Amino acid sequence: MFYNVCPNFSRVNGGCFFQISVLGYQQKKDAKLGMEVMNVQRKKSCIMLPLLAGFVAAVALGWWGYPKLVFSEKTQPIRFSHSVHVSGQGMDCTECHFFRDDGSYAGLPTTEKCAECHEEAVGEDPAEAMFVEKYVAEGKEVPWLVYQKQPDNVYFSHKAHENQECTDCHMDMSDVDTPQAYYHNKLTGYSKQTMKMWQCERCHAENGASNACYVCHK
Amino acid sequence: MGLDRRSFIAFLAGGTGGILCTPVIWKGLDDISIWSQNWPWIPKLKYGQREKKPVVCKFGSDAYGVRVETAAGRPFVAQGNPDHPLSKGGICPLGAASVQMLYSPSRVKAPMKKVGDGFENISWDEAGKLLAAKIKAAGSDVCAMTGDETGTTADILAGFLAGLGSEACFLMPSESAPAARAWELLGGQGMPGYDIEHADLVLSLGADIHESWGTVVRNGKAMAADNAVYTYVGPVQKAGTSISAKTWVACAPGTEPLVALGIAAYLINAGKGVGMPGYDALKEFVTLTNPPSRVAQATGVSEATMKQLAGALLRARRPLILTGSEFGQGADALGCAAGLVLNVLLGRVNAKGGVTDIPFTAAVVNKAPDRRTLLARDVVGYVQDVAQGKTKPAKVTLVVDANPAYALPQPEVTAKAFEKSDFVVSFSSFMDETAARADLILPASYFIEAMDDAYAPYGSGQANYSVSPAIIDPVFDTKSAAEVILSLAASTGIDLGVASFEEAAKARAEALGADWDTLAEGTAWVAEMSNGSGVSLWNDALRALSLAKVPAGAMILAPLARLHLGVDGTPTTPFGTITIRNTELKKNVLCVQMNAATAGKLGMKQDDAVQVKSPAGSCKAVVSLSEAIMPGVVAMPLCLGHTVGDAFSKNKGDNVYKLLDVQREGGTGMSVFGNPQVQITKA
Repeated sequence: MFYNVCPNFSRVNGGCFFQISVLGYQQKKDAKLGMEVMNVQRKKSCIMLPLLAGFVAAVALGWWGYPKLVFSEKTQPIRFSHSVHVSGQGMDCTECHFFRDDGSYAGLPTTEKCAECHEEAVGEDPAEAMFVEKYVAEGKEVPWLVYQKQPDNVYFSHKAHENQECTDCHMDMSDVDTPQAYYHNKLTGYSKQTMKMWQCERCHAENGASNACYVCHK
Repeated sequence: MGLDRRSFIAFLAGGTGGILCTPVIWKGLDDISIWSQNWPWIPKLKYGQREKKPVVCKFGSDAYGVRVETAAGRPFVAQGNPDHPLSKGGICPLGAASVQMLYSPSRVKAPMKKVGDGFENISWDEAGKLLAAKIKAAGSDVCAMTGDETGTTADILAGFLAGLGSEACFLMPSESAPAARAWELLGGQGMPGYDIEHADLVLSLGADIHESWGTVVRNGKAMAADNAVYTYVGPVQKAGTSISAKTWVACAPGTEPLVALGIAAYLINAGKGVGMPGYDALKEFVTLTNPPSRVAQATGVSEATMKQLAGALLRARRPLILTGSEFGQGADALGCAAGLVLNVLLGRVNAKGGVTDIPFTAAVVNKAPDRRTLLARDVVGYVQDVAQGKTKPAKVTLVVDANPAYALPQPEVTAKAFEKSDFVVSFSSFMDETAARADLILPASYFIEAMDDAYAPYGSGQANYSVSPAIIDPVFDTKSAAEVILSLAASTGIDLGVASFEEAAKARAEALGADWDTLAEGTAWVAEMSNGSGVSLWNDALRALSLAKVPAGAMILAPLARLHLGVDGTPTTPFGTITIRNTELKKNVLCVQMNAATAGKLGMKQDDAVQVKSPAGSCKAVVSLSEAIMPGVVAMPLCLGHTVGDAFSKNKGDNVYKLLDVQREGGTGMSVFGNPQVQITKA
């Protein structure tokens, strides 16, 4: 037994190959061949719907589900309020984020630096009390989650970029009361906000800086 | 409508199209590529404030100042300290690897007690109680050995043993002991110091100033300053000392200081030394008893060469003569005295660029013997006597910062002596041959983890004192050996007069008139000028010393000290492993270097596997031809052949200390070793 597929396939189906579905088949004896052949009967069907469904599902999975799968959401160990320090106390960014005497960048302040004001809790905020109790009293550094930490194989000098605006690369934190969530990439171990090499290269190209490998990879 | 095959395919097709419109593939591939570069064993950098902290490094051959650079408090590199008088910005190969070794897999991480053939971790409390009980039971039957020649830890250890009633506290062999003895015989009060920076001609008789003699790092800096003409007398044209020198004079191993006697004869003939104390006795000794012709026969250095050297010394404005062993230990007092005599003869005592008399420090620990007494004690002789049953073995043996089971001549003799001791304790930062033999291992903090100090390492130009602060907390469960001994003394009722190492160091600083705060900041104290009055040319005691005898036609071994391979207490570091040359170790076999003429005489050729035998022992080796070795001499590098340690030092070649046979010097009775006669046969 073999299958005989209708030769007028496209015509039978109205020339719309998107709307084919097989409903069943009948067996009958072919007079010329003297044998039973199977005559497949086809009926117009709609494949647009599953196609669209697949597309939408994949897009949803890709844009919504995949990030959920790859990134884990973390919160900072201490709810540090930049707005309290900047707007409330009138502090300048460079009081905590400063260049050391040797030109290296301090980045985040050490517990010792914070303790210059917070040796003991000075306000009512429970986050401050927790900071004093867990870190100042214990002499430990806070394991802050750095949103844009570059990997070890990248040599990034803040000094070389001091003419740029901080917010060219970093989020503007000055009015932030509760730090944003930190998204940790489970595969790479990096933050979601870590700048990619193409971003560095683009900025270098736009500003006429060299894009030679050794500029960033020592 | 059911989900038929076509619908399913359509769904998949739609899904594929949809995925392509999302970042899944591109982001996924990017993440995977980053993930593939981030294996968990890749070290992570620590970021933070970088600081340079001055400390004293005792990891190499001598104690000198280095700066340890830290990031957020974590040490990551050691560099020379330009402000330290013994570094002047320089660093030795071992010092350069010192921070790397802080995290070495061979660090002893916690106290350990021997159980069967292995060890089990115990607490410090348990270890302290166990040791105190053993010490109390032993009474005065305790001996100790330490490799810390310059630190107050040695005084604390010696004071503790003295408190127990034992005089068996020893320093490991070095150049200091024969130099102290020789200087004493000439009438010196302390230790001879050498103002190498201000000399304009430096004659080095055997002293390997780049690898093992005195203040190696400072010596290198002085040589690099190119203010003096250097001449090296020795059997091997050494990569550092003699290549940098203007002249190399080939001389039979171990006889180099005798050349000083030959030169002295020419200087006396030139009118030098007349009227000096001991002039007549010296004149008789070098012109009649041991004339230059006899010296030439013993050393292989011709009379003409000695005359030429004497002429150069006479022409120089500030000549300086250095004598010592080719590998920093095992020398005799006579040899050292001969070199010092030349300096005295040339009027170089208390002169700029000459020899100074560096006083011993005042005692700061109750009951501790003075440093001269400690230097006069002969650890090699003691161990040999214990092994041979001539001396009663101690019930408890304390080993502090030393590896005698590897680095004393004939390690199997040391092993035998250790076996006779009921309880051996090793205070060590690293697992080494001695620790492996010990019944109790007490992990000693590393030099940057605990306070330490150093007073005038041998070879210094002036008296100097440095304090090394602890710049980090111990990485592992370790303690300062000095603090453990002080606790032990307290628990056994011995009053050493100091409650902590810092207190002892402060007392030392006060005795020297040094400012403690300045010392604690890492700045070394240097005496303005040491005096050396009362030194004579010669005396009857020196006449009694014996001249080394070299059998004619014998094949003599010249052990080679190489800092990149390690020193007695420190094995080859990971940094050092990659610098081992194929003339030192070939396919994991130790090299015996000889020149082509010597090889031809022995019927050997390059790469022949051989057995090197001495009266003391034997080593496996492979022939390496080198025209830097004088005929009749074979040279072999020390500090290989460790049987315990990490992958960077263990099971690499053989231990040359096995070949060193021990003789006693006539007159002083000190153990002399270093240049045995050897036989070389094909393996």
